Amino acid sequence: MDAFEQHVRAGLELAGVEIDDVELAVMRAADAVYGPGFRALAEADLGDVILEPDLDPSRPPVER
Amino acid sequence: MNGGHPQDLGLRAQADAIAAGDLDPRELLQATLERIAERDGPLNSIVATFPEESERMLAAAPPGPLHGVPIAIKDMFQLPWRGPRDGAPREALPAGESGVYRALRDAGAVIVGVTQMHFWGAGSTGHVSAYGPVGNAWNAEHCGGGSSGGSATATGARLVAGAVGTDGGGSIRLPAAYNGITGLKGTYGSASREGYTHANSTMGAAGPMCRDAADARLLGSVLFGRDLAAGVADASGLRVGLVRSPFWDDLDPEVERACRTAVEATGWRTSEPALAGAEHAQVAAVLRLTLEGLPSLSEQDIAEADPLTRGLVKYELLLPAHWLVRADRVRSLLRRAVADAFASCDLLVWPTVAAPAPRIDNPTVTLPSGPIAPDAVNVRQAGIANLTGQPGINVPVGVHSSGLPIGLQLLGPWGGEELLLDAAEHVERATSREWVDALPPTASASAQV
Repeated sequence: MDAFEQHVRAGLELAGVEIDDVELAVMRAADAVYGPGFRALAEADLGDVILEPDLDPSRPPVER
Repeated sequence: MNGGHPQDLGLRAQADAIAAGDLDPRELLQATLERIAERDGPLNSIVATFPEESERMLAAAPPGPLHGVPIAIKDMFQLPWRGPRDGAPREALPAGESGVYRALRDAGAVIVGVTQMHFWGAGSTGHVSAYGPVGNAWNAEHCGGGSSGGSATATGARLVAGAVGTDGGGSIRLPAAYNGITGLKGTYGSASREGYTHANSTMGAAGPMCRDAADARLLGSVLFGRDLAAGVADASGLRVGLVRSPFWDDLDPEVERACRTAVEATGWRTSEPALAGAEHAQVAAVLRLTLEGLPSLSEQDIAEADPLTRGLVKYELLLPAHWLVRADRVRSLLRRAVADAFASCDLLVWPTVAAPAPRIDNPTVTLPSGPIAPDAVNVRQAGIANLTGQPGINVPVGVHSSGLPIGLQLLGPWGGEELLLDAAEHVERATSREWVDALPPTASASAQV
């Protein structure tokens, strides 16, 4: 059992969610597609980015 | 009519012919139901028809811009006689009057069918649904797209002249590109969210899916409750930003060529602005889209889903919370960057999809970087407009050597639907309407009217 499978099985067990081998394969495929982007996001320097207050997607940002 | 089938007419032409007394709306409804029955078998784009309810709507239809015109609607909206199912086996909401239903009813439209969609709206291919895969109007062995694939295919195959879709991560624009039709995602909140299965989403917006921009203007005016007037700008003199990275990167060469050719044909002044945060737009959109949907799912919902959807949901359950916080910072960054870009550009432009619709039995696309799941690259192309909330439109601009359509995406400023439609019509004229009027093989038996 590799680190990904350990993480998945332990995490879902803690949440009380069962998983079968097909679902595990799907999760592994999803992580192959999106995992690199997620990890790049996790490492991105976003510390200076101020969250837009009262973000309203129907309008442009009030403050820039 | 000249003896042709009335569904070979576009939306405006149907409405005009009814208003002029040249087309009996009862005959149009009957002909539409017959065409769905004749053509939709291999396409599987329509989940349900309900002739008695449609006839009742027609009998009570008020005068209006769509009086007597059949419209199909995605399976995400409450209808008085049917609860929406969201591509899943059971109702997601009970039967009722959604805001979109009321807008259509009050405009005199006749809802003729509910369209297929990707399971829970969670994909851009449409090959996963409780009702089976939706085929492409140009080749039923290829994906009709998602999540509004049924609306796109039904419109492309001339089953209806207009349909309602929704777009939370490209779900109008992407299947519109796959099927060679015009699909407009409105600004967030431009259409009613009442009675919409994803009403809690900060990403999703409804919009028209039609054969060309003028038809989308007509249906969009009804859905958005305001006149999307033509001619707000000199569409021949627009300044457009081609955001090279990541949106013009790693494209099927024929897609890139067709989109560049179309942009050149417009005569628009182009620049290549960069958008801060664009490199993270794909995963930021995926995080927002998927995590916003999770609280609505019960254990029973998950247990009843297909294995692919179940696996994806369980993957989403383990995504760290701080990633969503980071995604929201990217969202703020992108909204500011896009607003700044509109100081020097009228529109942002890039290909709607990186490659044409994949096969249903092998839903992958091949890009210069190699084979990839279409969802990943599709949300890269489209998800930014859902994060920002701005409107976007797909315009057909070519047909690939595989025989499948190619689409160009135009993104406008918030509330800029009129400008987008003007620009889309300019693209149509600049390309001599070659692509917007192209007829898919599934509809080629139709007599031209």
